[in-house]
Amino acid sequence: MKIAVVGKGGSGKTTTAAILARTFARAGHPTVALDCDSNPNLGISLGIGEAATEELLSLRDAVDAGEQQHAVSADDLVDRFGVDAPDGVRLAVVSAIQNPEPGCP
Amino acid sequence: MRVAFVGKGGAGKSSLAGTFARILAGTGRNVLALDSDPMPGMAFSLGIEQTDSGLPDGAVEEYDQEGRSAYRLREGLTGTGAVMQYATPGPDGVHFLQLGKARGRQWSNTRQHFAFQRVLDDLPGDGWSVVGDLPGGTRQPFLTWGRYAETFLVVAEPSPASCLTGRRLAKLSAMHGAPRVLVIANKVRGTGDAELVAERTGLPLIGAVPWDPVVGEADRVGRAVLDLDPDCRSVTAVRSLVAALGESREIR
Repeated sequence: MKIAVVGKGGSGKTTTAAILARTFARAGHPTVALDCDSNPNLGISLGIGEAATEELLSLRDAVDAGEQQHAVSADDLVDRFGVDAPDGVRLAVVSAIQNPEPGCP
Repeated sequence: MRVAFVGKGGAGKSSLAGTFARILAGTGRNVLALDSDPMPGMAFSLGIEQTDSGLPDGAVEEYDQEGRSAYRLREGLTGTGAVMQYATPGPDGVHFLQLGKARGRQWSNTRQHFAFQRVLDDLPGDGWSVVGDLPGGTRQPFLTWGRYAETFLVVAEPSPASCLTGRRLAKLSAMHGAPRVLVIANKVRGTGDAELVAERTGLPLIGAVPWDPVVGEADRVGRAVLDLDPDCRSVTAVRSLVAALGESREIR
């Protein structure tokens, strides 16, 4: 099962995604939570804390700065860029385009 | 005065920016309210019925820039001209311009985005104030959509996620040499909340807006907070904010 949570800012996407991820994990499903937000906060809602959430972001910044290699596969991404969250959820932050041209908001 | 509201989604940027723009306009200034959020919400907080006030595709013309296709305002059209011609008139004399929403599957927003940016490069100067509502998050606020701002107002709730966004914005602004960045503590419930926001974001606090059920009700019914209850706590706080920024000599 692959679920994407979308909606307007402040409508509760991150909170909903975190609860879904932990609920599936608790039911015994191996669960990966992907934070695709250019301002990623899913870690806080999953319960890994502020400091760990911030660390995940700096890893992404390092990739964007060219100091770290991009992930070569989905497994590599989850493995190298992921972190363990409560209930066995694996959280990974997916890099966003940092310098988009107009037309790519 | 040229200010732009930034912050995490849901922090209250649109509600505050719309109210701020109208109160400022009420003091007799020419105010241009700019919504550069592709998921626009500022029209509601301004009390403007029309929620699609984007620029027409014909505002820009395509030209060849060293072998690459680029866009500029069409011949004879200036930024001020575009504002006068295309901005929607709003309550208290506010002029409202927005990036524009997608209109169906086949519609390309390329021209609209370029047109909006070309207007940002050539906004009306003397005698005009600009109040911008930027997209949520941290992507490109200082280089792209908010580059006209002299002061960035980071809206942050006293929550870890909201303050984390504030810290990221503070870091980005330092990286990009952005002008003054201040924080507004929003949805403040208890004593010490505002100071907590200042401490957690590391930004100078310009004001605090109390948690106010009128804002939630205004959201629910799609009306401006200012029209629903002009004397409610949040509107009173935004009035103080307008006064505080107006008195600041560092801000034109």
